[in-house]
Amino acid sequence: MKKVNTVKSLIYDLFKDYRFVIAFLIICIFILLVILSFFSPYNPQRMYQVPSGLPPSFKYPLGTNWLGQDVFWQLTFAIKNSLIIALVTAFFSRIIAVIVGILAGYKGGTTDRVITTIGDTTMVLPFLIILIAISMILKDWTNNFFNLGILLAFFSWAWDARVIRSQVLSLREREFIKVAVLSGMPTIRIVRKQLLPHVLPIVFTTFINNMSWAIGMEITLAYLGLGIDPTVPTIGTMLQTAIYRQALFMGLWWWLLTPIVTAILLFVALYWISVSLSEYLDPRARFQRIGFGK
Amino acid sequence: MQPLKKVLLILAILLVLFSLTGITAQVLPQGIPRDKTLILPFLFAPLPVPGNWNLWAGWRAQNCGLHQFVTEPLWTLNPDVVKGGIINALASEGPIYNKDFTRLVIKLRKGIYWSDGVEFTADDVVFTIQTVKNTEGLDYHGAMQDVKKVYAPDKYTVVIDLNKPNARFHTFFLERWGALRPMPKHIFSKVKDILTYDFNPPVSLGPYVYVSHDPAGYWVLWKKRTDWQRTVTGQLFGEPKPEYVLFINYGPPEKQNMAMLRHELDAIQGTAEQMLTMLKMSNTTRSYRDTWPYIDPRDISTRGPAFNHLVFPYNNKDVRWALALSIDIVELAISTYNGMVAMTPGLPLVVGKNFYDWYFKPLEPWLKNLTLDIGGGEKFKPWDPDAPWRLLDWAKKNYKVDIDPKNKEEVQLTLGYGWWKYAPDVAEKLLVKNGFKKIGGKWYLPDGKPWKITILRGPDPTDMANIVILGVAEQWKKFGIDVVFNVSAAAATLALNGQFEVLNTGHGGFAGEPWGLHPDLYLCFNAMNSKFVRPIGEPTLGWACRWSDPRMDKIISELEKTRWSDLTAIKKLGLEGLKIQIEEMVAIPCFNCPIAIVFDEYYWINWPSPKNDYARSDNFTTWPQLKYILHQIKPTGRK
Amino acid sequence: MSFIKRYLIPRLIQYVIVTFLGLTAIFIFPRLLPVDPVKQQLTQYQTFGVYVSPEQQEEIIKTLKQLYGLEGTLWDQYIMFWKRFFSGNFGPSLSRFPTPVNQLIAMALPWTLGLLSVTTFLSWIIAVIAGGIVGYFRKKWMEAIDILIMIIRPIPYYITALIFLILFSYIFPIFPLGGGIGVGRTLSFNLQTILNIIKHATLPALTLLVVGIAWQFQSMKLIVQSIQTEDHVIYAKTAGVDEKNIVFSHIIKNAMLPMITQLGLQFGGIFSGALITEMVFTYPGIGQILYDAIMRADYNLIMGIMCISVVAVTTSVLFLDLIYPFFDPRVRYR
Repeated sequence: MKKVNTVKSLIYDLFKDYRFVIAFLIICIFILLVILSFFSPYNPQRMYQVPSGLPPSFKYPLGTNWLGQDVFWQLTFAIKNSLIIALVTAFFSRIIAVIVGILAGYKGGTTDRVITTIGDTTMVLPFLIILIAISMILKDWTNNFFNLGILLAFFSWAWDARVIRSQVLSLREREFIKVAVLSGMPTIRIVRKQLLPHVLPIVFTTFINNMSWAIGMEITLAYLGLGIDPTVPTIGTMLQTAIYRQALFMGLWWWLLTPIVTAILLFVALYWISVSLSEYLDPRARFQRIGFGK
Repeated sequence: MQPLKKVLLILAILLVLFSLTGITAQVLPQGIPRDKTLILPFLFAPLPVPGNWNLWAGWRAQNCGLHQFVTEPLWTLNPDVVKGGIINALASEGPIYNKDFTRLVIKLRKGIYWSDGVEFTADDVVFTIQTVKNTEGLDYHGAMQDVKKVYAPDKYTVVIDLNKPNARFHTFFLERWGALRPMPKHIFSKVKDILTYDFNPPVSLGPYVYVSHDPAGYWVLWKKRTDWQRTVTGQLFGEPKPEYVLFINYGPPEKQNMAMLRHELDAIQGTAEQMLTMLKMSNTTRSYRDTWPYIDPRDISTRGPAFNHLVFPYNNKDVRWALALSIDIVELAISTYNGMVAMTPGLPLVVGKNFYDWYFKPLEPWLKNLTLDIGGGEKFKPWDPDAPWRLLDWAKKNYKVDIDPKNKEEVQLTLGYGWWKYAPDVAEKLLVKNGFKKIGGKWYLPDGKPWKITILRGPDPTDMANIVILGVAEQWKKFGIDVVFNVSAAAATLALNGQFEVLNTGHGGFAGEPWGLHPDLYLCFNAMNSKFVRPIGEPTLGWACRWSDPRMDKIISELEKTRWSDLTAIKKLGLEGLKIQIEEMVAIPCFNCPIAIVFDEYYWINWPSPKNDYARSDNFTTWPQLKYILHQIKPTGRK
Repeated sequence: MSFIKRYLIPRLIQYVIVTFLGLTAIFIFPRLLPVDPVKQQLTQYQTFGVYVSPEQQEEIIKTLKQLYGLEGTLWDQYIMFWKRFFSGNFGPSLSRFPTPVNQLIAMALPWTLGLLSVTTFLSWIIAVIAGGIVGYFRKKWMEAIDILIMIIRPIPYYITALIFLILFSYIFPIFPLGGGIGVGRTLSFNLQTILNIIKHATLPALTLLVVGIAWQFQSMKLIVQSIQTEDHVIYAKTAGVDEKNIVFSHIIKNAMLPMITQLGLQFGGIFSGALITEMVFTYPGIGQILYDAIMRADYNLIMGIMCISVVAVTTSVLFLDLIYPFFDPRVRYR
């Protein structure tokens, strides 16, 4: 009963924030589009299905591109695929970051140093280059979204693990932890009951930031022609195809604008959700919003 | 805010300073007149080692003007593809072989001088051959090992004695896009290590000399020699018109477009979309033709998918034919290039006047009679001579076209020779004959697994081969086969090793790149020599697709014994070889590589066109024969 | 003294280990590429019409392997790699044989450093100040700036660059289309040339600035917002300290600390260049060279550039970690 009430009041409070409302709406529209993708009349990887180069109209809500594909239906697949990649990346990199961060922060000592060293090494290598190279090395292994997501996750856990680690470090010194340790609580329970609740807010907000980053990376990789098979629609590959086929100069502005506007909306939505959620979860920030601060 | 004001002030000062360096962002510096300068695109930029012009030691992005102006070959292809033939450049006549092809005598042209005043003589040629033979790491080093002795009996004659008979030894010096060209002996003989020598500044044998280059390698500036009369160009063609030539690479296609719209680029060779865009956005631009299909279709190179003949099921001739018959060539042309391509059925059978007369005309009756056995006693004649006319009909409905459908030669030289019929039902029969099954609209291999074709290609989406193969994949998907792409930056290496099923293009290893202006197809056939085939995993020494046939080997060895000037014998053997290639469907060549060229007539006019057909258009972009056509263009006089 | 023992030495050891691991990874990494530099060179011959007679192909492969130094076992090459590293010589470039890697890097690096260090620092400074102000004061027009930046941020960099290009090189032809310096000019040390260089670098710099500011502005803003609610700030406000003072000496100074770490990492990243910037503006930087090197599996060039990059990053992070205690007394007492 208590949990349902907290959830209800959580949602109610969140909706007071206009940013959350707009972001939520955008995400809902995107989810709707993703569901629509399962009903698409066209196979997204086929070309020359419809007359090419038509501007948006009732029949083709977002027009058609030069390859004879309906931009609207391409978009539904693109959103789905990009979101899959983003979710996989964020999910795995959070898991790694949490495990690593808590381990390093709680155990301290040599474990800490070894782990931070490994993490630093992944941050140190110029990763765009490495991503390019790895997608070359592993050729069609990266065609699978799941694998691409894991690859991206490998490069994004380090920074957030550091953040979690410093959080854990400061928590470790607090009284309630010392009490728990003294009273003989097993470490796992300490981690679960005492540390995780404080760490989770960070995890959640960085999860969303990580998703944004993953989409950005996917777009960059697609622009360079690596990673995903270019005939598979994602926001990145739609953009790349539009650029390489001179959409702008040919006057097919709807082809070029669709992925850009989608990317912007997606980022804005993700960002606003993460910001409003993190402010909500951090009580001090909530006071700020209400106007307690200046 | 105080800091903000400071920042604004600094910005204002900077803006003022900028204006001091020139009000408009003109690309040329003061002192170099735009109306006397020809600005051409520098493809394959940047220079790998800016400031190093020693192209004998490796790749130097020589189309920056290096092989157009600095070097001069002994023989070269005629840029005028209507007249055709080989031009004697530094050589004064064709190669002179003895009876058993162990001695080659070359007679040189007199009165040719290097840009530093030293005369070009046989000593330069002898020195070049000896140096390349003795220095490991120089290009053509391997080829020159066949030289037993090379000497100059007089100032303008070179004699080469070979270790073993070679009727085509002189082709190393015959310039298509590359060749072994003479080095200046008076400079290179003083150099200790030729491999690392940078030849800076370069000394030209052609009509232009080096002025300066971009330290980052994106442009090179050339100036006309004051003694241009003492070059091959000057002697054979007259004075080249531009005072300066600038090769510059602006980067992505959008920037090239902007440059031409600002009249800072006089020619662009790009994708079909780029060409259409440029024609639309400016009233001073034009392509080779004024109307559809705009492009110049006469590149000497073909494109179309190729198979790995060591991989099932592509080692089966029926399967290959089925895949060819399931392609609607007219639809393919329309979807990939808006119909602006010329179709061809033969791998080295390029579309052009020379090959039309030498090979296509005698081949045509054979093509019409070519019959396939499609099983169950049925026969089928796959040749479709009307395909170019169907393309023409489509074009007339959508564009203004000025090709006369009754002029057979004009249609075939513009839109292609013809192709195979679009016959998916016959393709089905061929496949079923070999145990394939079609269930529910999808094709299955004889062993019951679904048929999935994996096509290997590189990552560049503007590469013509990649554009065509996307369209081909669509056709095969429509036919019911699952097609996926293996997009890899290492595509070239993988192809060499035979690690692929289907390749995006079959023209590699010279198989699809004939001389074009001489009927000899030896290079194209030799790529398929059986002694060069290597198993998958090892780099092949010939054609990546690893096809061979004893009949072809016989033709190759006969060609080796044929004299270069014996055109009748060469054509007869070439025809036989072509028939074998086509009958076996060793690859599926679809189109000639289209040259989507755009010329800007703001500063220069008299570019090639069908009525003024003095050159194949891409000689203005990367080909070394540029020097032989610069006397044709005229300045408009605009400042 | 104990500071040195408890903080400095472990930190230095970590530095060495991370650098060592990074460099080893760099050695292994190009060899994993599916492209073989020798075969790549062969196909290049083929593509550009240099006739390589098949009989001599095997000879050529052997010669190239020798010249490229790819003989011997992996371990031998590894040892040679370290020898070369310590002598500062990375050997000859494979794809542009025989030019030494050092020469190629020396050619491109100054352009990259010039452009990227200026933009990185400048964008950082602007972002810190602007982020601090907007994070603290929450006036309406500042919310508008926030939204503007948030819309700019996700636009793919290529598009932003293209928009700038169209605006300032085409519609209003103020700036040149690209390149490092203009055509026909040579590098020299007079005012004209320097102004020219600046002129050519302005557009790429502007695009990098805009994108850099967008990213760092948001981080800064978030940090500032969280600091705002900390006790010492509230105390200062209650105590009536002047607003400007609070913003600068309390908030921004504290927010700078995590931002400085970010700056350090970014600074190290300068050495791998800004690939897309260089592609769009044909700017002669090191990013394009690195990309080409990877495409052609030019082992030596890849290793050379990445070594510099790795060392730069680890060193700058080390440097920052070392001066961190001087800024943050809390760390000092650990």
